[in-house]
Amino acid sequence: MDISLLIISSIYGLFWGAILGFAAVGLTLLWGVMKVVNLAQGEMIILGSYVAVIIFAMVYNPFAGAIVALLLGLFAGFLVYWALLHKLVGKVEKITLKIEMSTLLAMFSLSIALMNFYYFIFGDEPRGFGLWNIGISNIKLGAMTVRTNVLLADVLSIVSIVVVYLFLERTILGKSIRAVMQDAQAASLVGIDPVKIKMLTAVLGIGLTTFSGFMVLLYESAVTPDIAHKYAPLSFVIVVLGGLGSVIGALIGGLIIGLVYGLSKGIVTFYNAKMSDPVALAVVFVILIVILLVKPEGLFGRKR
Amino acid sequence: MLKEFRSVTLGIIIAIIVAILVARVLHLTTLDTLMTIMYFMGIALSLNIIMGFAGYVSFGHAVFLGLGGYVYILLVYFLEPLNQLQRAGFGIGALLVSVIAGLAAAALAATVGAAVLRLRGAFFAIATIGLDFTILYLMKAIVPELNPDQFFGGQVILPADRIVDKETIFNAFFIATVVLIAVNYYIRKSPFGMGLTAIKEDEDAAEVLGVPTTLFKILAFSLAAFFTGMIGALFSLNGGGVDETLFGLNHSIDMIVMIVIGGLGTVLGPIIGSLIYYELYDLLLVHYPGVNLIILGVIVAIMVLFFPEGLIGILRRYKIGNVRLRDILE
Amino acid sequence: MSSSDVILIVDNVTKRFGGLVANSRVSFQLKRGEILGLIGPNGAGKTTLFNVITGVYKPDEGKVIFKGEDITGKPPHEITRKGIAKTHQIVKPFNDMTVLENAMVGALFGKRARQVAMEEAREIAMDSLKLVGLDAFSDEFAAKLNLHQKKMLELARALSAEPDLLLLDEVLAGLNPKEIEESLEIIRKVKDERNLSVIMIEHVMHAVMNISDRIVVLHYGRKIAEGIPEEIANNPEVITAYLGEPELALKFVKRRVTK
Repeated sequence: MDISLLIISSIYGLFWGAILGFAAVGLTLLWGVMKVVNLAQGEMIILGSYVAVIIFAMVYNPFAGAIVALLLGLFAGFLVYWALLHKLVGKVEKITLKIEMSTLLAMFSLSIALMNFYYFIFGDEPRGFGLWNIGISNIKLGAMTVRTNVLLADVLSIVSIVVVYLFLERTILGKSIRAVMQDAQAASLVGIDPVKIKMLTAVLGIGLTTFSGFMVLLYESAVTPDIAHKYAPLSFVIVVLGGLGSVIGALIGGLIIGLVYGLSKGIVTFYNAKMSDPVALAVVFVILIVILLVKPEGLFGRKR
Repeated sequence: MLKEFRSVTLGIIIAIIVAILVARVLHLTTLDTLMTIMYFMGIALSLNIIMGFAGYVSFGHAVFLGLGGYVYILLVYFLEPLNQLQRAGFGIGALLVSVIAGLAAAALAATVGAAVLRLRGAFFAIATIGLDFTILYLMKAIVPELNPDQFFGGQVILPADRIVDKETIFNAFFIATVVLIAVNYYIRKSPFGMGLTAIKEDEDAAEVLGVPTTLFKILAFSLAAFFTGMIGALFSLNGGGVDETLFGLNHSIDMIVMIVIGGLGTVLGPIIGSLIYYELYDLLLVHYPGVNLIILGVIVAIMVLFFPEGLIGILRRYKIGNVRLRDILE
Repeated sequence: MSSSDVILIVDNVTKRFGGLVANSRVSFQLKRGEILGLIGPNGAGKTTLFNVITGVYKPDEGKVIFKGEDITGKPPHEITRKGIAKTHQIVKPFNDMTVLENAMVGALFGKRARQVAMEEAREIAMDSLKLVGLDAFSDEFAAKLNLHQKKMLELARALSAEPDLLLLDEVLAGLNPKEIEESLEIIRKVKDERNLSVIMIEHVMHAVMNISDRIVVLHYGRKIAEGIPEEIANNPEVITAYLGEPELALKFVKRRVTK
């Protein structure tokens, strides 16, 4: 087995992992604060990607697309909270299994509607930044060649995660969100309005998710509805790994998943190149099940 | 006291079965239409055993559909005796081969279930999604290796000499559907069903009251997987082959949505739910092509937010004269 | 006391949660047909002890012997089948099932699990509902009952299991004096009719003093006293234990005064 090939494969995996981690941040916030598992996570991610593509087509500037994706996501979060979530979790102090099931189904219905909306508007056809991609060169890192877009997406992802982390740790609003995450009842006793915090979490969580769609687009070069089906399940794995509500956990979870994927892929490629991608993904999902069974609070989460 | 009315449910069920049979004999519609209806009804009734009765929502239940499909198609592709068997006995043979596929699905459910059924709520749902993708990617990796010249990307297409005529498949589908309805009905009326409902309501209290919760959950999950596997097998046979899309989350969505529309925890719920869903699907497709599934999503959202008990659940609240619908829609 | 008279032996049971010791070397015996009151201040480890007996928790040390058989650490549903039934302190009705169906679950999975058919379970359940006075509500959904009725449903569910030993966890809490009187009457009646042995956790002091043959007192997980109600009411250590809870201590003192 060629060790250097393995190392390169692992590093590529890590490059992907940071982006995966950021794509899971919105999910971990919603799940942590109000026990809402956003089954429309994948659709929210590519909402950002599609918006970026459209805006790019209009003004020929990819970063304008990124900003509009973020703003639209914040607004979408506001809508999702008031249209779907408020009735189910807004005023509830203890979220029971039954409520949890209802929120799952509600987000599920959103995912059906959004997914088919994309098919209706865009079809299967890949959409991307077209010529702009070619204009951007590759960068040589030792023996590796990395696309500048990927590096850009990684830098943006990590910076965004750090900003969100600092927001949660340092600001009053962020601390309130963490308080509700830990104990909604106690938080309301000290004067925090849980409804306001839940709404803000939905706004922030979904906004960050659509924003991550821009990074995903940079990494994947083009977006199709199928991308949602790839990133959503991986986000679940990452959140479970990193622990519900943990932003840094999401980053580390993403890096671990990227590393495991890259490593498995490298190893399997050595035996059978065709099998490498599916086997590596299967390994990732086996990890999900094992973690759920052994340490459901996540590798870095607190015990619930 | 309302014993004579309790048979209304049974009456409706028998009427639906007879209607399918009459439509078949008088050629009122195509065999494919009837099989599609039975397919929807079948997957809804299968998931109902674990989701409707025991309250465990399996979001990755399509894993058993896909596994059943692959096992069946690969068996008749590679094993000549099974290819012969599936043509024998006017559908009985195909039914027997689909039982093997169902058993494979049940075996996976029992093994994995013993572990993942310890998880509750969203964690269980996510674990089943994980299981779905694990098996999906494993199939994608392994299946092409079985016959590299033919099975591109994991797609297996049955050659002409291994395809079965539609009359035969219809018979197998029909028997499977009737058995599945009977199993649902029996569970609803049995101590097993009482135990499952108790688990759905409060699992800890059920255990202390003597319900062997772990055993019951694994049994229900395996039964649900068994029938889903069988239906996946017959569905694939009818389609002349199988590919990875059978593992798609959209199939899990179908099952869950039908149960939610019809009403959880009843026998009539998934049956009526599947009929409505089929009609809705068709109607929306005809009148609003393209946006049909978007509308469907909105309908599901409205159901979840405002009518979480589903159609049968709502009807159960009301009375007609002296007769409580709850008593007759059991 | 000969061994055949003893239905339950709790032998040196210790249960820890992390650093917290909920039960520390607790031992006592229960005779057939006896009503044993289990009292102690909040956090004394009473409910934990019930959960050890019913198999919800596995004790770290010690044994539970029921009808001569070691049942320590067996799963709860097996222990229920051997003839121990329990009511929950915080009621746990199956809300979307009818009152009758709730009680039927008790009958179907109780001591004669797998031998009781649906029809028979219905009769057993109906009998239990009559005993606790809920027969008129048999077709209602359990969610519709009030607290007193929900507590009685807990009792009916437990009775439907046809147990030999009944564990009652604060069935009287939150009830008004009239309801308490009625409930005590029901407990006495079922105990005599069905030849039950009963352990009851209770904070309503006059009730537990009134109905119990013997009383065991837990404090910080340890057994600090055991005896007939009169002895317990005059035990200085018990009164000191309750002093942390002035209201309860006052009740003790009152009882001594009225004697």
